[in-house]
Amino acid sequence: MSTADNESRQAQTALGTLRFLLTCWKVNLASAMEYRLSFFLLAGMMFINNFMWLFFWSLFFHRFPVVNGWSLSDVMMLWAVGAGGFGWANMMFGNFHRIAPIVSGGQLDVYLSQPKPVLLHVLASRMSVTAAGDFLFGLAVYAWVGEHTLSGGLRFAAGLLISGLIFMGVMIIAGSFAFFFGNSEGIASQVFNSFVALSTYPADIFRSVAKVLLFTLVPAGFISYLPIGLLRDYNSGFVWQAAGMTVFLLAAGSLLFRAGLKRYTSGNAIAMRG
Amino acid sequence: MSTVALQTHGLSKSFAVKRKAAGLSGSLRSLWHPQWEEKVAVKRIDLKVDRGERVAFLGPNGAGKSTTIKMLTGILHPTSGEAEVLGLTPWRERTKLAFRIGAVFGQKSQLWYHLPPIDTFDLISRIYELKRSEYLARRADLIDRFELGPYLDIPVRKLSLGERMRCEIAVSFLHRPQLLFLDEPTIGLDVVVKQRIRELVLEANRVEGTTVFLTSHDAGDMEELCSRAVVIHHGGILLDAPVDRLKREVLSRKIISLTLSSSFEAGTLPDLPGTELMESEGRRLKLAVDLKQTGIESVVSALIGKFRLDDMTVEDPPMEEIITHIYGSGG
Repeated sequence: MSTADNESRQAQTALGTLRFLLTCWKVNLASAMEYRLSFFLLAGMMFINNFMWLFFWSLFFHRFPVVNGWSLSDVMMLWAVGAGGFGWANMMFGNFHRIAPIVSGGQLDVYLSQPKPVLLHVLASRMSVTAAGDFLFGLAVYAWVGEHTLSGGLRFAAGLLISGLIFMGVMIIAGSFAFFFGNSEGIASQVFNSFVALSTYPADIFRSVAKVLLFTLVPAGFISYLPIGLLRDYNSGFVWQAAGMTVFLLAAGSLLFRAGLKRYTSGNAIAMRG
Repeated sequence: MSTVALQTHGLSKSFAVKRKAAGLSGSLRSLWHPQWEEKVAVKRIDLKVDRGERVAFLGPNGAGKSTTIKMLTGILHPTSGEAEVLGLTPWRERTKLAFRIGAVFGQKSQLWYHLPPIDTFDLISRIYELKRSEYLARRADLIDRFELGPYLDIPVRKLSLGERMRCEIAVSFLHRPQLLFLDEPTIGLDVVVKQRIRELVLEANRVEGTTVFLTSHDAGDMEELCSRAVVIHHGGILLDAPVDRLKREVLSRKIISLTLSSSFEAGTLPDLPGTELMESEGRRLKLAVDLKQTGIESVVSALIGKFRLDDMTVEDPPMEEIITHIYGSGG
């Protein structure tokens, strides 16, 4: 096959993958809509649940208006970026925190038998209904206390992108351990809960070793510092580091998943999609 | 173009399996001193299948059928050995190969559970990057051939197992695969649905020249669908022979199960050559018939003439019995 043929084939496949992703999201949304009441209730409850947390923070900041340079509006934007980023990632790639059970349950067979990138296919095959509530919550908080300029809007969008991708990268890495350690569902779920929890507290309340860990081993700091380093006092050094960490996590996750596929053992559990 | 659809040389697969003694003490010992042992699932399989062939890959549960099919579709990496499917190495060129093969796993659905099959058809057309016009024409043809019209708009969760399997197989034909792997496609289905599925696969082979590689523990799949049977046991090939020969030599026995309307009395069974009473309990009895000595019709009519029947089924012997027979006759 000539180089031109190869390039044309690759371009066709890239376009094909994009079309596949769009159809996948359409099908996921249709699947979620099958249970309309559940869809609206779950999304609505998550929206309210997030506001409850903000209510508690507002009580705290009523007594201590500024903590280590953070005000209530910064914490509100932290929740907007964190919940919003988690929300879009969980809507578009809803399996990102379910990789461990999928791998250890031997449910990759159908994905592996079809001609699409396995990791992307797995990630995009589920849409979390509650995540729509998280995402809308993020937008609502931005509308309430965010900076309503073009630059502010773009920085908020970048924050959502970085936050969602970091959540995905961390959980792809944690989930891919299932290829190597068997049933690592518990570990993955522990990583998930800790990471979500750490990303909802202002990065500046942590000191010394804890802070180092927050920007290295458990990089939740790159999400929880976004309201300051990206949104309030733009710091290009921090933004580049956050972008670098995002790329690193996604690349490491993809490589680990790819390496893990060689060790995949399948299984005999009955599996359904959607 | 090569006439070979797939070929394997010494294809093997082993898994590390953890052993644990029973009870809590066994679990605690296993926590500190885990014991692993190697379980050989597939043992040095050499196989060649030509294009257009219909091959049944048979064996009892745990024989290594599904593991072999998973290696041939690129799902699993082998421990050792080589395989070429349509000229490609499955686990190295998985994506390229996936465009040209189809796979149906009886226990792993590719249909979206909460949506009607028509939505899965759309998604699969994107997965295989089919042109819209080509897809719509193909879909209409498959809907017609598989008689899917009444089910297309009903969520998959509301379909019966038979209806779902018809949709599964139809979907797998959407991209015109050159080679179709069917892993236990008739598992759990009743006889009528099994028969229909066999007819549809047979038609695809006849009309489109699709090579069929089917695993099953149901001897009926082999008899009615395939021209060649490969029997696998304990991970290795036990027999590779034309189905006609196998029918003559191995599948010459049928099992008849009867439920009489009153209790069975010993000594009342009609005297028919090649018919043997296997077991009886109350109103139920089971007979084995050697078709080389007597036809199934004459046995059935003799039984109907002699007893009042509530129920009767005629079945192939179970796969385990066929394997024992093959062992007994030296393969």
